Amino acid sequence: MKMEDSKPHNIEEKLRTIEKRLIDILKNFGYLKGRSSKISEIAAYLYVHQEVTQKILRKLTGYSLGTISTALRALEKRGHARRYRDPDTREYHYELNGTLLQITSRSVPDVQRYFSQMREFFGGIEAKISRPYIPEKRGYENIRQFLNEMNDIIPAYEHALQEIRTMTLNIKQEAR
Amino acid sequence: MTSGKALQDPHGFDPEIRQIEQEIVEFFAETDPEFSGRHPIIVTVMAYFYIRRNLTQRDLQNLTGFSAGTISKSVRQLVDINMVTKEVIPGTHEHIYKMEELPFMSARIFLRTIKLLEELEEELKKTKDTLDTHAEEMQNLNGYQRIYTITTQLLRIIPPSQMIVTLIEKELKFTKTSQ
Repeated sequence: MKMEDSKPHNIEEKLRTIEKRLIDILKNFGYLKGRSSKISEIAAYLYVHQEVTQKILRKLTGYSLGTISTALRALEKRGHARRYRDPDTREYHYELNGTLLQITSRSVPDVQRYFSQMREFFGGIEAKISRPYIPEKRGYENIRQFLNEMNDIIPAYEHALQEIRTMTLNIKQEAR
Repeated sequence: MTSGKALQDPHGFDPEIRQIEQEIVEFFAETDPEFSGRHPIIVTVMAYFYIRRNLTQRDLQNLTGFSAGTISKSVRQLVDINMVTKEVIPGTHEHIYKMEELPFMSARIFLRTIKLLEELEEELKKTKDTLDTHAEEMQNLNGYQRIYTITTQLLRIIPPSQMIVTLIEKELKFTKTSQ
């Protein structure tokens, strides 16, 4: 450790740099998942600060209150945030709904449900394209190729997700 | 999210096939955002790539009815996250965007995710070391405990995430080889 690192302002600066980097990491992950950079950034601030208000987020990000409100509503809908009203200021506070670890581990059953919904939906599409005159039509090959690939993907994901769920349950049982 | 007006089909798809395609696109646009947090617009653009694979920005405008700016922003993000590649159409100034494989089964995306998680784990371990080394001086600063908790939680999330990606990759390889 260098001498100047021990100075109080350098230590404070070091901690703020770490905090900023954690926000960048979480924002980047959201963006890589295909979320908008604004929503990813607002979510990242909530994950790291754990409790925010719309005004605080506006100060931190510079985004409009409309953008912030939309992002927070989306996070609430997905069960990542919950809000309460401060009785004194009447301002809404948004807090993280559980720990980051709990939020991410809740997602396995959600993914399973999503794949089961896909299986049902694509079953209906299969029935539509299996009508005898359909293969003659332009664009059929594209739909066929897509469905063939999904027919490989869905069982592979379902199997992997089941394995993950079993492993998670075993770990939880061992921990008791 | 797709526009209701009859739009020109860039690949001349039959109207009945186009109808089936729209059902697929709408399914993703309605269900994916709730599960992934993605915006319905980017999901719609992604879904057209799942089926058509090669598209220009103009094709996407015709298919979706979205504005040029919206399409440009969406394809930029898909390029950024390696979901599609961008090439110049020879003899023109126009670009064609290509989805080589569905992202659910793309080895390129799996490898990138694994590499990213490894790099992140390395960085977070160093961050935790710094927080431990300076604990005495930092612990009374605003947010130290919170920052420490997030760092350790992220470190705990990484190994299961690596395991999930590896398991899915293994399952998909097994499916491919058993065909």
